[in-house]
Amino acid sequence: MKEHETVVQLSIPADAQFIDIARLTLYGLAAKMGFSYEEIEDMKVAVSEACNNAVLHAYNGRRGMIHLRFEMSADALAIVIKDEGKGFDYKQVAKQAAPLSAKPIEDVKIGGLGLFLMEALMDDVSVTTADGTEVRLTKFRHRGEGEHAHECISPSSVQEQA
Amino acid sequence: MVYIKGELDLAAAEQFQRAVEPLANDATKLLVIHLDELTYIDSTGIGMLVALLKTRKKQGARFAIENVPPKVQRLFDLTGVSYFFSEANDTTERIGGQS
Repeated sequence: MKEHETVVQLSIPADAQFIDIARLTLYGLAAKMGFSYEEIEDMKVAVSEACNNAVLHAYNGRRGMIHLRFEMSADALAIVIKDEGKGFDYKQVAKQAAPLSAKPIEDVKIGGLGLFLMEALMDDVSVTTADGTEVRLTKFRHRGEGEHAHECISPSSVQEQA
Repeated sequence: MVYIKGELDLAAAEQFQRAVEPLANDATKLLVIHLDELTYIDSTGIGMLVALLKTRKKQGARFAIENVPPKVQRLFDLTGVSYFFSEANDTTERIGGQS
């Protein structure tokens, strides 16, 4: 764990009926951190997509758990979604992860849309597949111009702080 | 007319399928899905709407999706499905929306 990071953990059964609990928790934490309504909506979809994949692919219909870890730091919220099932072939799916292009509707395939949405809605997405699948989604806090203090600190003020 | 209220996600997939399937298979009637009160949708929900559109198109049946909330529209745009939905809505309008 990084310094100045607060962690909240939640474990839910790998069952579609509990994914809304992950969304509710995310909503509470992201709102507490001051993320905008739109940012929270984006994160809700991304987290749900990762949970959907765990529900659909991790346990082959057997019971299992999804572990969520919300890492709250000053500049970002990272959400780690982990299952202990068989590794989901994200590399294969990543090849299809694209928006639907203007081709005949008959040829449209939905597979890969979940991963595409995660990538489109979050600032960073990484997937590790050892002992199950671990998806790490990060959203940085985009503050107003006046708050980018760290980017416009003059050398003299740095010295004063030192 | 079908009004969807609440969340259209993996948990709601089965219920949605059950409710809509008989209507989707009746090619003689216009099928309109109203999304005014849809509070959440993900790729599962989007996939179900696309599947519905495919079924209707195959039958040459009329289909429209209406009153899409802005946050849902954003996901439709992002994933590229808005193109198909607006094409379906235009066709339905052209051939007359009355059933």
